[in-house]
Amino acid sequence: MSEEILKVEDLRTYFYSYTKEAFIRSVDSVSFSIRKGEVLGIVGESGCGKSVAAQSILGLITDGPGIISGNIFLTRNDKTVNLLDGLSDYASIRTKRKAILEISKDISGWLKRSESLMKGIRGKVISMIFQNPKSALNPFITVGDQISESIMLHKGIQAKKEAMAIASKWLERVQIDSPSMRLYDYPHGLSGGMCQRVMIAMALSSEPSLLIADEPTTGLDVTIQTKIVELLKKLREELALTILLITHDMNVIMQLADRIAVMYGGRIVEYGLKKEIMDSNSFIRHPYTIALLNSIPTIGEIKAKERLRAIKGDVPDTITLYRGCRFYERCTLKNDRIKKRCKEAEPEMIEIGTGHYMRCWLAE
Amino acid sequence: MKFILWKPILKLVLREFFIAVFLLLGVSIVIFSILHLAPGDPLHIFINIQTQNPEDVALLKRELGLDRAIPIQYLSWLNKLLHGNFGNSFRTGKPVFGELIKVGVNTLMLTIGSMIVTLLIAIPIAVISSLRRHPVLSWGLTLFAYILSALPVFYLGYIVIYIFTKKFNLFPFLPSGAVSSSKFNLIYFFLPIMVLGVGNGSISEIVRHLKMQLERVLSEDYIKAAKAKGASIWRHSFKEGILIPVTTMVAAKIPFILGGAVVVEQVFNWPGMGRLAWQAALDRDYPVIMGITLFAAVFVHVGRLTQTLVFAFVNPQTGEKGEGD
Amino acid sequence: MRARYIQRAAEVSEFSQIPIWKRANKKDIIQIGFGLLVVLFVLSSYITSVLHLLTYDPLEINLKEIMQPPDYKHILGTDFMGRDILSRIIVGSQAYFMPGILAIFIAISFGTIAGLVSAYNSGRTDAVFSYILDLIDSIPKMVIILLAIAFFKPGIFFIMLIVGITNIPTVASLIKSKVIFLKKRNFIEAAKALGLKTTDIIFKHILWYNCKSIVIIQATLGMAEVILIETSLSYLGFGVQEPAPSWGNMVASGGDYFFRGDFYLSTAPAAAILISILGFYLLGDGLNNLLEWRRKR
Ligand SMILES: Nc1ncnc2c1ncn2[C@@H]1O[C@H](COP(=O)(O)OP(=O)(O)O)[C@@H](O)[C@H]1O
Ligand code: SF4
Ligand SMILES: [Mg+2]
Repeated sequence: MSEEILKVEDLRTYFYSYTKEAFIRSVDSVSFSIRKGEVLGIVGESGCGKSVAAQSILGLITDGPGIISGNIFLTRNDKTVNLLDGLSDYASIRTKRKAILEISKDISGWLKRSESLMKGIRGKVISMIFQNPKSALNPFITVGDQISESIMLHKGIQAKKEAMAIASKWLERVQIDSPSMRLYDYPHGLSGGMCQRVMIAMALSSEPSLLIADEPTTGLDVTIQTKIVELLKKLREELALTILLITHDMNVIMQLADRIAVMYGGRIVEYGLKKEIMDSNSFIRHPYTIALLNSIPTIGEIKAKERLRAIKGDVPDTITLYRGCRFYERCTLKNDRIKKRCKEAEPEMIEIGTGHYMRCWLAE
Repeated sequence: MKFILWKPILKLVLREFFIAVFLLLGVSIVIFSILHLAPGDPLHIFINIQTQNPEDVALLKRELGLDRAIPIQYLSWLNKLLHGNFGNSFRTGKPVFGELIKVGVNTLMLTIGSMIVTLLIAIPIAVISSLRRHPVLSWGLTLFAYILSALPVFYLGYIVIYIFTKKFNLFPFLPSGAVSSSKFNLIYFFLPIMVLGVGNGSISEIVRHLKMQLERVLSEDYIKAAKAKGASIWRHSFKEGILIPVTTMVAAKIPFILGGAVVVEQVFNWPGMGRLAWQAALDRDYPVIMGITLFAAVFVHVGRLTQTLVFAFVNPQTGEKGEGD
Repeated sequence: MRARYIQRAAEVSEFSQIPIWKRANKKDIIQIGFGLLVVLFVLSSYITSVLHLLTYDPLEINLKEIMQPPDYKHILGTDFMGRDILSRIIVGSQAYFMPGILAIFIAISFGTIAGLVSAYNSGRTDAVFSYILDLIDSIPKMVIILLAIAFFKPGIFFIMLIVGITNIPTVASLIKSKVIFLKKRNFIEAAKALGLKTTDIIFKHILWYNCKSIVIIQATLGMAEVILIETSLSYLGFGVQEPAPSWGNMVASGGDYFFRGDFYLSTAPAAAILISILGFYLLGDGLNNLLEWRRKR
């Protein structure tokens, strides 16, 4: 088994809501790890904390008062660094009889620390591509300048010309026609699919050890979605990429991922190898995963342009402290035997197969 | 190598230019009508009608073209204007145009210089406080900017003059509260610029606008993406977050600073358009005041054209996406 | 930044309306409080002077008590004619109160109408309106005022009328861009589709919900501007005329004494100007923060 590049342990990212005077627990004790050359897919409905988790890894969550905690170990050249190293020095908690009275955090101090930890990692070791490619490219800078900026920053190339030549090669790699012309275009002249290709080219141009792809297909036309997925598949094979793939689309997961983490309400509810989870013999799966799988439209439905079947009910807000299972309201598989337990206590992560974990009372 | 789309830029600038010309035409009509609307006969300008005999008055009227229909009068006035003839000043009897050019350069220097001073104060304050890293510091700086804007500019002038004449004896002090210097003096040149730059009252608005725009841009997706790739967020936010709002504010505040110049030129005896305007208003020197109005309007429009030009170069969409809110 | 927050019981209803005082943070409260104090001062000094409640007549010349530095009798001293400076400052606020309100009223009401009309009717109406507004905007305010002074020798009310008119384009363009922004977001179509009355849409949903921060900022900026313009004009000799007091002409007439080292003559009214303008700025900022307050999730 190859080495782990990234290991996330007990990551929590909370935002503070002034209006509700409470924390939004967008990412709540999430752990996972990615091995070299592997594609880990994080899947879940929108709003369940996937993007926040991904951005926490790169230290991009800088919004106002909030809490981030846990460990993020990044291994590179046999050296491991913790991207959240020393975080606890910046926060202090005052408690009284175990109840939290006040939390105070030196945010600017931590941000400074985080910047220095991230130096040489952002864009170089870990690259990220974003949902909404059109708004993630700077509208005031040409495509070529943006890609060559990345190359010059991370590949030690000083000459602009050389960087542009490499940029052009990357554009070719992501299958953009007449790349040397495109270099001088501004993003507003490109279609959404083209913008995403440019984003991918830019992210890969520094040859990172890990690519975080946050909803790479969302917001694109269905046909273009397939093309982007194909492209990622091809690039993955060519370049032996390690990818953290984030999506709400089970289809994309099925095509690309080796390992799956299913997220719900800020928590991972099921985690394991894809073939383990999808293995038809394995009768035991998390009810939420089953619901997600059922929501994939069949070919016939796509042809009939039927709307995506959604899971009944809404994603829970992550403010309310539930005692029981967070999926309780929407779960259709809870039976009378465990119903009471589902409501009263939250299940732990339980290993049900080799490396296959699940957070459900059904697993017991 | 960079492709600049000259054609749309040229088209845009030409369009703006024609609009400006059209507006200046309107301004001249307004001024001309005020001249005719003002209480009394415009002939008042030239003679005291009561003391003249009626025949002379009639003759003079014909000579000056005042007996013709008003539109025709306007056209002939415009015709003269286009030949650089703004009439003669009542006070000095000299052609207004030449005088205006002379003082206009001084005012231009004062205005541009103090705009630079204003920006040198306002931009750092806006940048620091838009970062939201140090709330107390940024609040303090914003408060400081507001205090500067709330200070009457001539009171600031008093303080500065007091310090430089009484304490340092740098130049002679005139009893009128103004300063005079026969030979060119570097401090004498810079003081009014500094005073107008600090005290013109636009710092607060510039800080507010810049801060708002910068905060908006810094929260855009593309800034987050730039950060994720390890690039400088300032490089990426410069055009939309700083250059465009600064240009907007500069173009918008030129008229305001010109107004401030009227006062500061008076305080420092700076031989500029503002002082001339003040003198002309005191003397009811109509030709001068009208010349100044037109000059000022041209000044304002040059500022706006510059803005258009900057937008066109900065923005690949040639001005379509100016500023959102 | 050191942030402190208190975690309360978690269960808060999703749709609970948060009352204004809960939205305000310390900074907002300080700003608005200071602004309101200034407004209160201007208002109360207006009332005192209208009702003649002052100990000293601000116009009374007392040659025996010329240039008294501040003491317990005359808290801010007396001026070169022995007039009590404090009373003059209090009465001097009258120079700004009504004229300022007039200027703001003109700028905001006409500006709003012009902005609405030209945003609603694109095409010719818009072109005409924009042209007129641009025309007003092409001449610096001070120059228009000097032009008017040269031709009409106007009083302070007339001057503030001009200030009001010259502020119309600013308000109009702000309102216009806001309405166009709403139109682009299909906000207005949606409101129509919901069956709202046109008047309701315009007054309640466009103006009240979306434009109030523009109005507040412009009103407070306008008040500050009125004071500064009168001050500048006073310095040039065109403002409120002696012996009637205004802060501007007090600073200006104290100028000569300033250079002799008697600072208090012009410093007291200058401080009044500074504090009240600062008050208006902060009031505008604070109210804007509160009213434009979006749910910070
Ligand atoms: N800056 C923020 N402030 C407060 N709440 C936030 C912020 N960013 C995200 N959230 C909340 O975190 C939750 C998860 O968001 P996100 O990670 O974007 O979901 P997704 O899984 O669709 O990517 C959402 O409910 C959102 O309301
Ligand atoms: S624990 Fe109970 S409620 Fe939760 S997913 Fe499992 S069966 Fe459903
Ligand atoms: Mg997301």
